[in-house]
Amino acid sequence: MRILLVEDEISLANEIRDFLKSENHLVDYSNTIASASDNLASNSYDFVLLDLGLPDGNGLTLLKDVSNYQKNASVIILTARSEINDKIIGFESGADDYLSKPFSFLELKARMQAILRRKSGWNKDVIQIGGFEISLNNNVVAHEGKEIKLTKKEYILLQFMVINKNRILNRFQLAEHLWGDHLDDEYQSNYIDVHVKNLRKKLGMYAAVDWLETVRGLGYKIIS
Amino acid sequence: MRLFAKLLLFNLLGKGFFLLIFLMSGPYVLRYFILKNTDQQLVEEKEKVISIIQKEGMQNFISEENPDIGFGSYNILKEEYILLEKIQETYANDSISIQERIIEEDEISYRVFAHTFEYAGEFYLLEIGRSLNTIEQIESIFFRISIGILFLFLAFSVFLDMTISKRIMLPFNKIIKTKIAQINEPQEFNDLPIPSNTEEFMILDQAISEMMKRIQKSFNQERIFISHASHELKTPISVLQSKLEAMFSAENLSQIQSEKLMDMQHTLQKMKKSVNALLLISKVNNAQFLKTENIEMSQMLSELLEDWAEIGQSKGVELILLENQFFVFENTNQSLCHMMIQNAISNAVKYVSKGGKITLSGIVNPDFYEIIIENEGEGIDQNLLHQVKNGLVFLKEVDKEKSGFGLQIMYKIAIFLGVQLDVKSLNGKTLVFFRFPK
Repeated sequence: MRILLVEDEISLANEIRDFLKSENHLVDYSNTIASASDNLASNSYDFVLLDLGLPDGNGLTLLKDVSNYQKNASVIILTARSEINDKIIGFESGADDYLSKPFSFLELKARMQAILRRKSGWNKDVIQIGGFEISLNNNVVAHEGKEIKLTKKEYILLQFMVINKNRILNRFQLAEHLWGDHLDDEYQSNYIDVHVKNLRKKLGMYAAVDWLETVRGLGYKIIS
Repeated sequence: MRLFAKLLLFNLLGKGFFLLIFLMSGPYVLRYFILKNTDQQLVEEKEKVISIIQKEGMQNFISEENPDIGFGSYNILKEEYILLEKIQETYANDSISIQERIIEEDEISYRVFAHTFEYAGEFYLLEIGRSLNTIEQIESIFFRISIGILFLFLAFSVFLDMTISKRIMLPFNKIIKTKIAQINEPQEFNDLPIPSNTEEFMILDQAISEMMKRIQKSFNQERIFISHASHELKTPISVLQSKLEAMFSAENLSQIQSEKLMDMQHTLQKMKKSVNALLLISKVNNAQFLKTENIEMSQMLSELLEDWAEIGQSKGVELILLENQFFVFENTNQSLCHMMIQNAISNAVKYVSKGGKITLSGIVNPDFYEIIIENEGEGIDQNLLHQVKNGLVFLKEVDKEKSGFGLQIMYKIAIFLGVQLDVKSLNGKTLVFFRFPK
């Protein structure tokens, strides 16, 4: 996919760009509204990752250029300001999602994939791991056609790990995905172990779950 | 109680009091005046009789043949009588009194005016009486008419009071509805003046508008400050997090490097959560959240129970949903409401005594919907709780790995959502009550 990253914080932009490149995407980078506007007028993008606090104005003004030149592009607003008005105007002007900084790259990836699945209308996104069929759109996990009953949190956790398979996911990343930005306190990252333990127990009744590895001292990883 | 109702009630009570006084004293006052009037009439009657005697002589009343037989006359209904008889000597003064007289075997009470006088060398007694029954009848008619008029006056004046009060209070009610009701949401405030020709209301309206403009201004300044603070605090954290994540994804990390990175991630998470919590508290205080959602509370409670039952189980704690009645909390913010109740459950899980249990109840009451979360275990000191409620302290506890923001976030959200929150510690149990308005 070709992605336009609009971000004025160079250090952060470099890291996001490197991450997206590692995911095999083409990334163009702009750090001002003017340069982003030029890019939008001259290239075709699948995704625009848009920061709002830019040196020459509010990033929201670029949403007009997106609707003029990039009919098929999806927009994710990335912001540290977290103002309710930005959120409302952003969604009203055609943004597809809104991600508050600081965010995990894996969260960004999950959101991008969710938008793609939603826009393509493809609702049979099922991933097969160790004999299990895990749906990314519906909260359904099955083994040899037999549906396995999981709690909502367990589904969300499993789906997130599946999207980021072959990558170590630490407890903080998983906790943030499950409980969002405003965790009561750090204690909740320990609850991830409880959920993973229950997940293993429930799936283990049907087949071996050796594909869900514990990485000692760090977190978990799905091998596929 | 509403001012309009209060005014009406006080008016009604005042008039009712007046009516009561009239009911109690009316008969006596009326009797007094009627008797006075009757006495006056009796005196006038006496004057007439005396004048007739002086003009025409005594023979019209007492015959010369039988001067010892006096004259007595009464009308057909025995309402009035007149008596004239010869006596031995005169009395010093005229007298008016109530006396019993037997007329044709009927004993009747009369108001009697007695007058003695001398005529042609003889002494005479003139008695003119009016039946008390007649007086009482007049009294009763007067009293009933007065009561009727008073009740009519009362009803009419209540109606008039209602109409006039309503009209006079109209601008005041508009000030309450359109201006004071929005005091918690200054951004929505409309400073258009309320039309009124009552000077006090105009002053009040103007004062509220000016006060709200000042609050609006400080809210906006606070909002801009929070936005800048958020940007300035979160951007470096984002940079640090992105760099840490990039380092994590490196394939060739040693065990020691991984552990060091986890430590850094841990510290960064602490910082991130503190910043997020402080910004959240500021944003809730600054009313930066929409209240446009409706929440099915029983469903939310069931989902929270599902989320936390297994976590509780892992600690040997049982979570029980005692009651889960249907209730829809309207015009609110789902994520804040969820966070508020989740924080209470999370606290209960942390503070419950080992092997204890936590009960949840969602009960619909006539005036409100209530969620009660009860856990066995030592509670929080009420003085400390009061300080938390007022935003003075954070209950930071290292051994519980608590950031100290949870309770305060709960209180701030409750205020913002209009939920009454109460935390009590009783007999080794902690109870959290959320009362949602209906």
